[in-house]
Amino acid sequence: MISLPILPILIVLPLIGLIFIFFSSEDDENALQSKKSALWTSACNFFLSLYLPINFDKSIPHFQFVNSFSWFNSDNLRFALGVDGLSMPFVLLSTFLILTCIVFLLPQSKKNMKMYLASFLLLESFLVGTFSAIDLFSFYIFFESILIPMYLIIGFWGGERRIYSAYKFFLYTLLGSVLMLIAIIFLYQEFGTISIPKLLDYTLPFYIQVWLWLAFFSSFAVKIPMWPFHTWLPDAHVEAPTEGSVILAGILLKLGGYGFIRFNLSILPDASIFFTPFIYFLSVLAIIYTSYIALVQEDMKKLIAYSSVAHMGFVTLGIFSANIQGLHGAIIQMISHGIISAALFFSIGSIYNRYKTKEINFFGGLNLKLPKFSVFFLIFTLGSIGLPGTSGFVGEYLSLLAVYSKNTMVAVVSTLGVILSASYMLILYKRVFLGSLSSNLDKKNDDINFYEIGVYITLVLLIFIIGIKPGFILDYTTPSLERIIQLYPISIF
Amino acid sequence: MKELYSYIQFQFFRERELLIIPEIFLAICAVIILFISPFLKKEGFTKIGYISLIVLFISQFFILKDIFYSKLIFDGFFIIDSFGSFLKSLILIGAGLIIFFYLTVSNPKSLRRSEFSILFLISVVGMLLMISSNNLLSLFMSMELQSLALYILVSFSRDDFVSSEAGVKYFIIGSLSTCIFLFGTSLIYGLVGSTSFSEISLFMSDLYSTPTMLIIGLIFILVSLSLKISAAPFHMWTPDVYQGAPSIVTTLLSTLPKIAAFGVLIRLLVYPFGEIIIDWGKILIILSISSMLIGSLGALRQTDIKRLMAYSTINHIGFILMALIPGSEDGITSICIYLIFYITMNLGMFLFILNMQRDQVSVTAIKDLSGLYKTQPLMAGCLSIILFSMAGIPPMAGFIGKLIILNIIIDNNLFFLAIIAVLTSVIAAFYYIRLIKSIFFDEPIDDLDIISNNHSKYMLCGFAFFNLTVVLYPQFFLNLCASITLSLFAVK
Repeated sequence: MISLPILPILIVLPLIGLIFIFFSSEDDENALQSKKSALWTSACNFFLSLYLPINFDKSIPHFQFVNSFSWFNSDNLRFALGVDGLSMPFVLLSTFLILTCIVFLLPQSKKNMKMYLASFLLLESFLVGTFSAIDLFSFYIFFESILIPMYLIIGFWGGERRIYSAYKFFLYTLLGSVLMLIAIIFLYQEFGTISIPKLLDYTLPFYIQVWLWLAFFSSFAVKIPMWPFHTWLPDAHVEAPTEGSVILAGILLKLGGYGFIRFNLSILPDASIFFTPFIYFLSVLAIIYTSYIALVQEDMKKLIAYSSVAHMGFVTLGIFSANIQGLHGAIIQMISHGIISAALFFSIGSIYNRYKTKEINFFGGLNLKLPKFSVFFLIFTLGSIGLPGTSGFVGEYLSLLAVYSKNTMVAVVSTLGVILSASYMLILYKRVFLGSLSSNLDKKNDDINFYEIGVYITLVLLIFIIGIKPGFILDYTTPSLERIIQLYPISIF
Repeated sequence: MKELYSYIQFQFFRERELLIIPEIFLAICAVIILFISPFLKKEGFTKIGYISLIVLFISQFFILKDIFYSKLIFDGFFIIDSFGSFLKSLILIGAGLIIFFYLTVSNPKSLRRSEFSILFLISVVGMLLMISSNNLLSLFMSMELQSLALYILVSFSRDDFVSSEAGVKYFIIGSLSTCIFLFGTSLIYGLVGSTSFSEISLFMSDLYSTPTMLIIGLIFILVSLSLKISAAPFHMWTPDVYQGAPSIVTTLLSTLPKIAAFGVLIRLLVYPFGEIIIDWGKILIILSISSMLIGSLGALRQTDIKRLMAYSTINHIGFILMALIPGSEDGITSICIYLIFYITMNLGMFLFILNMQRDQVSVTAIKDLSGLYKTQPLMAGCLSIILFSMAGIPPMAGFIGKLIILNIIIDNNLFFLAIIAVLTSVIAAFYYIRLIKSIFFDEPIDDLDIISNNHSKYMLCGFAFFNLTVVLYPQFFLNLCASITLSLFAVK
């Protein structure tokens, strides 16, 4: 059978859509033609990306759909693409979330809609590239390129303090990743190759691993973000436009977790063991501390942003407990957070489009005005809390289970985070949707429109499907994750 | 008689001196044009400009014809090799583009004189000779030829106070640099007894321990060359001169003399002084670290784009100097690649600055860029691609250049240098994205004139396109530059 070069197609297709958008000559805020091109491109891309799970061989832990091109150097520095069980779900998540963003955008109008849609298509191309790169240089190039469209999205369409936030986002992320670049070049010099599958066969001396680990950590800890490096996230989230926040929370944060599993854990196992207590400490701190901060937020987006940091704490706990439950938990938690936080940001976007504010105090009794919407929001809230049956539960449960087998104390303390997340999310729901109708909400009364319902229903379905049968995803990921675990030394932590 | 004629032709031209035809041709043409120019009418400067363009084009042809030759000529006064020919053709391409900019953008009245192109050609001759010098004396002469023409060019807007000030500043610093160079040369001559690179190289190879006097002489020469490439801490003149000089001359200053000076620096350090790499390596480390720091920190609070570009140049120079520290073939290959990218970025940026006008008056403040996106979306896009490239954000060309240089540095275990380099490039990224912020995010205060000049538009698009697409096949540049640096090490 002639195999389809599916990954290059997934990367190039959005760029073709981009060209169509550039050549459409409309300048108004509605940009119907561009919306159509963007919708078609992203829909095509999403359905094409379904080719991956359908033709994926679940029994093989190695990279599949591999395409490599001569790039820098014909032998050992090629431009290589491929997915394994670890990266495949994220490729799907990227194409899916971009599609939902564009569907969500259809009824709206914005200044320079054309460029906005173009940025999202560009972002899609880079995101698929990042998750499917199996060569470290190509990974780095895609990883960093994401900064360009994201900087423009935050800075151009953002809120009041957009410029400050855009700078902060750009410089924080850049500062983290340049150190990773040095580590990548070092690996290249050391082994003469930076193809990820080949790197798995090499082992490095411990003291070198420690430095490399720190360099990779600096990049991914900023991206995921872990506790002391998280300060860019609330700013970026609050100021970014709705769809920007969705992509930021839904996919960009996952790059950090993906990187931790792919590089820190797989290539530098000894250093990972050495640093595990450090990661536990930061993760627990992130879970407890940011949950408390989330409790007192007055801005809905900021609240969700801080809750993201807390949820990512579970991901890092799961990853560095380095057993199969932990990795499963981390993957499910990342996917589920990708869906739930995206859904929450969409919801806040819906509210913002109607009332032009995100202040929690402004609202009250919104369920009387938007009854359908409040049902959806309740489901998303419960998913975020981690109610059994929703995807959030599976992720948190598996991560905690894994940590419990390694370190009981950490597990006990971080379980507090689950309670805290319930309190801040329920308080948010209570203050915004329940109670008597706030006097501010008199004027409008249009419930969510067709496009929004479509997006929300899909997201709700996904939350339940993953919550009830996480095996849909885990079947694909298990072989790859098991291989990582097999290579991992027995740890005492 | 016939035999004698053929002998002369054979011995004198075909065999040896023919290789220096491009320089001779350029020099003769410059002189001829100088004689023609008084007979032309007032608007004759465009004709002179086009003639100079053709002249540059022809000498480019001469250089490309002999690009694979390698030979000492004029009794070792000059050397022709493919490394030099490559840099020369880079300079000629750059010179052609700058002349073309000069002809197509609307210049202030003081620049519309035929002397501009002539002086420009003369300085290009100087640069070409600099690159092929194989003797400290010929190097000195060609450097002076280049600099004297540049002094005049910098102060070309006679009526403009700032331009004259910049000219004087540049002249004083340049003369100081010359003095220092001559002093260093005299020390080396006193020790070696010759100024020829080959003799110095021979002298060095017989040495058991390096005489201090030689190192002091080398330091003087390095200081002089650092003044030329504006490496910190010898960068003081750069911001003032860049800002004061007419924009078209700043375009010239920031690109071509840097290539020529790097050509000299590489040839000097690798060939005659290659033995004492431990000594000059340390000096270069200090120079490159301080250049990167000053280039990134100094630009943070600038409000004028030309001044900012001066600091940006210093930063890039620091980055390039870093690659020279190992003195290896790979290092020099990476310098060549970086120079190609550096030129395209800088020319693109300055092409825009040349076109920045409001009501037909040039403006260069950063805040003039604000809201550019609204009026000229295409130009804004191209400019931001070039700026991202300068900041070294992938997938632009600037990133590939930085990647290749960092690769060399880490290969030689200079980790602290690599870390400083990437950290300063993050700081530098701040001021580049500050410009992008102005272009896209700020509300326009007072719109710039829309660029009506199609040549500039297309060229800017071309530079942006180049910067964007290098990532697809960087191997081409790697192979090209690797093959030309071979010749440099073949002499050894």
